[in-house]
Amino acid sequence: MNKKVLILFLAIASLGLVSCNSNDDETGIVIDGIDLTSDVDCCSAEEALQVYRFIQTVHIIPELRTEVDGKYDVWAYSKTGTLHRGYNDLYFVVTKKKTSNYVKNFDIKNFTPLMHMVKTDMWHSTPVGGSFEVFDTTRPAVKRGWVSLLMNTSDAGNWQFSYDIEVLGSKGGVTSKTINVEALPEGQDWLKNFKVGDDTYFLSLVNPSDWKTGTNTIQAYISKKSTPATTPYALATETFTIEIDPRMPDMGNHTSPDNVALTKQQDGSYTGTINLTMTGLWRIHLTVKDSKGNVVAGGDKLKDGFSSLYWDITL
Amino acid sequence: MIILALSILLSTDTLATSSHTIDEVVVVSMAGEGRKRSAKGQVASIDEHLAELNHVNLVRRGSYAWEPVVNNMATERVSTTIDGMKIFYACTDKMDPVTSYVESSNLQSILLNSGLNGNPQSTGNIGGSLDLKLRRIGFNQPTRWANVDVGYETNGHLQVYGADVAVSSQRFYTNGGFFFRHADNYKEGGGREVQFSQFQKVNAFVNAGVKLAERDVLEGTFIFDRATDVGYPALNMDVAKAEAFITSLSYKHQWTEGFLNSWETKAYYNHITHIMDDTKRPDVEIHMDMPGKSWTSGLYSLISASNARHEAQMNYDLYYNRLFADMTMYPGGAAPMYMVTWPDVGTLNTGLALTDLVSLPHQQTVRVSAKIAQQWQKLNNQEGYHALRVFFPGMKDSYMQTTGRIAANYTWQPSHWQLSFGMGWGSRAPTVTEAYGYYLNNTFDQYDYIGNPRLKNESAVEVNGATKWLPSPRLTLSVEGNAFFFSNYIIGQFETRLSAMTVDAEGVKVYGNLNHATIVNTSLTAHWQPLPWLTWNNRLNYAVGHDDEGDPLPLISPFTYTSSLTFAYKRLQGKVELRGNSKQVDYGKKYGETATPAWAIGNISAQYTLSIHEHDLTLRAGVENLFDKRYTTYSDWCDIPQKGRNIYVNISVQL
Repeated sequence: MNKKVLILFLAIASLGLVSCNSNDDETGIVIDGIDLTSDVDCCSAEEALQVYRFIQTVHIIPELRTEVDGKYDVWAYSKTGTLHRGYNDLYFVVTKKKTSNYVKNFDIKNFTPLMHMVKTDMWHSTPVGGSFEVFDTTRPAVKRGWVSLLMNTSDAGNWQFSYDIEVLGSKGGVTSKTINVEALPEGQDWLKNFKVGDDTYFLSLVNPSDWKTGTNTIQAYISKKSTPATTPYALATETFTIEIDPRMPDMGNHTSPDNVALTKQQDGSYTGTINLTMTGLWRIHLTVKDSKGNVVAGGDKLKDGFSSLYWDITL
Repeated sequence: MIILALSILLSTDTLATSSHTIDEVVVVSMAGEGRKRSAKGQVASIDEHLAELNHVNLVRRGSYAWEPVVNNMATERVSTTIDGMKIFYACTDKMDPVTSYVESSNLQSILLNSGLNGNPQSTGNIGGSLDLKLRRIGFNQPTRWANVDVGYETNGHLQVYGADVAVSSQRFYTNGGFFFRHADNYKEGGGREVQFSQFQKVNAFVNAGVKLAERDVLEGTFIFDRATDVGYPALNMDVAKAEAFITSLSYKHQWTEGFLNSWETKAYYNHITHIMDDTKRPDVEIHMDMPGKSWTSGLYSLISASNARHEAQMNYDLYYNRLFADMTMYPGGAAPMYMVTWPDVGTLNTGLALTDLVSLPHQQTVRVSAKIAQQWQKLNNQEGYHALRVFFPGMKDSYMQTTGRIAANYTWQPSHWQLSFGMGWGSRAPTVTEAYGYYLNNTFDQYDYIGNPRLKNESAVEVNGATKWLPSPRLTLSVEGNAFFFSNYIIGQFETRLSAMTVDAEGVKVYGNLNHATIVNTSLTAHWQPLPWLTWNNRLNYAVGHDDEGDPLPLISPFTYTSSLTFAYKRLQGKVELRGNSKQVDYGKKYGETATPAWAIGNISAQYTLSIHEHDLTLRAGVENLFDKRYTTYSDWCDIPQKGRNIYVNISVQL
């Protein structure tokens, strides 16, 4: 299937090239990044096609768009084109203004979301993923990172985003762009925090909206609050274990069997397995243990017998 | 008379009188004497007709749609066919045994084959097979014919109206009818009303037959049946609608000479829609929608042959059934919760069956039957499949099973005696509920049940025997018994590691195979006619059922007895009956069953037939539970009480 589509594209592209020989400025084919000759700054035609396909599945965040040196366009994407409280995947793509071809080599640095607290006139940041990296080698021109936003925009405060970018030696960026951060609907609560001594840690649950009834991989990040708080919160260096106890509060705290605790992976994330027996509201009660097995957060038994530390997801 | 039109049935009908393993209750109002029928005649419900059969008990969840239990084995181990057609219920809570989708006016009779010696189309019939014989007027009958039934019962204000007409000629016949039942809540003994025990049902049917040639017949059937507003006092939910379409078309060729008698091929399709409803219940914690769907398409081809020694049948059958059920729960304000409870399971089953009735010298006969069947199942609903995989990570979405049965019965009838002995072996594949059911709440033991796709086929060895002593034409004494020795007996087993879904449920059970289990049924009957107008019938039944640890199985009948005196004077018949159960001693405590106390009730009934201008008019009246006793039987789901005193009267008129 992929091959067929590609051949079709190539056929159209070559026709376009032949017919538009007389005028180089006219592109004739308006499909971003498809180039027969392969751009040295990016990819093969197949890779470019994969990038193009991926972009069709996400939406542009207009506030984070920028231009570098008048030569490059920088595009930021999220699943919906908006941001919400809790974990958000972010994708960056850079295109050449002239050819619309993708650029492979660029770096996003100092990605900094800041919240301005209206009442106290104070600023703080939020957990972010370490750096923006290629996450799928079949589309080497897409870089992914993430941000987990502590609160949604409200009268209490609003968010401003900044980042620097370097594209093939040219520099640019975005400074203090206000972005509206939406609240999650009722029954969705993907970000929790806990304290160990004076340190505050944040538990960000990754994309539970992708889950389905049945067996799912559960992924999360544990970030540590920085000092000063305006520095984006990086992943905690300690190693924890997150035990999960998914329950359905509307179903007499029905649970599912064979759930596997989240353990730290090489990429710094925590993954485990969660089984969901039906759709509806699931409250995932958490017990966080340190590397020695001591409970550091959650695991307390409230009136109902469950941990007070939990994520809510609604399937 | 209708039996003429269904000559292929002749062999089994003959057997009905000669073997204890086969029993028949006649439904139609006009039929030969000396056969079993309900005291209420054709106005009786299918359930009441079924109750007349030996080996049969009925599980009641309300006053409608009782579940037949044969030899103390319920739906899973019993095959139910309608004129050989497969049909499968659509409710995950067994609210709609398939016998509930026909009406008395549709039927000629209900034939029961006890145990493994089943009718050719049956599969999985360890306990027995029921075949509901559809009523067909047939060719060459009185040209026009009509029948009207009207009935009323005081308890629950049950009203029954039925009418059917028939046209018959040498080359063509058709008959059709309409039936309506309506009942309000009934009152238990003592007069207290049993809430949510109402029901309403309409049924219409048409049959037609055409003789394409002298010995070639084309026949078609269409039945529409719809029950609405059916209360189930034993359950947490009622039924808004239970609807069935049943159709068939058959072609039959008959031979008048040679050893081949007939060859019938029938194609059929049936569709059931079942919608549960809890909107009328007070204090519903979480409102739920629980629809279920079942459709079956199939065919069978049956050749009958006979000579002086043999009456043989060979049957090939093939059917495809789809079962889907889901559940949506609406907690106040929060997101709805959804699950697939039957994951759209497609079952393709094909089988080949042989039966032969061999007549030997000196009044000896041997009946042999065998069947082999192959079955493929596919889970077509991905969501349901993935949900079940949580519990069975290694499961697949398709399965194949091979089942079979073989049974032989020997009968010897020296003068004044009838002795018979039989043996058989048979297996069955797990039902869709047992293999793939998902969190099906069982109000009987308050457990949620999860199916187990890794179940092995269940099998059983059956041994049966009977002795009948007929010292005079007026006295008959008989003792009979059968025993089933199961391997891999399928039953729900405690799974304490799992958490119940239903609020208030005790826990979760997952279906599993017990290494072995035993069910034994015995009965003693005595029939005495001291005077030409007086008959005294007595029947005692005793059964035991044990699992592999020797503990009693649930839903095994305690000691039961029936004694009745029948008077016949000219066209008047009267009957006084005493029925009862002993206290249930060996009840399935381990399986959540509670003991049922002893009970006894008295019934009286009378029937009078008169002819006015050659039209027969039959009047029936009676009182059930004469002394208005409050009682429940062991098979009353959640111990819901039986009807209190009930006076009924009905009229059948033949025009």
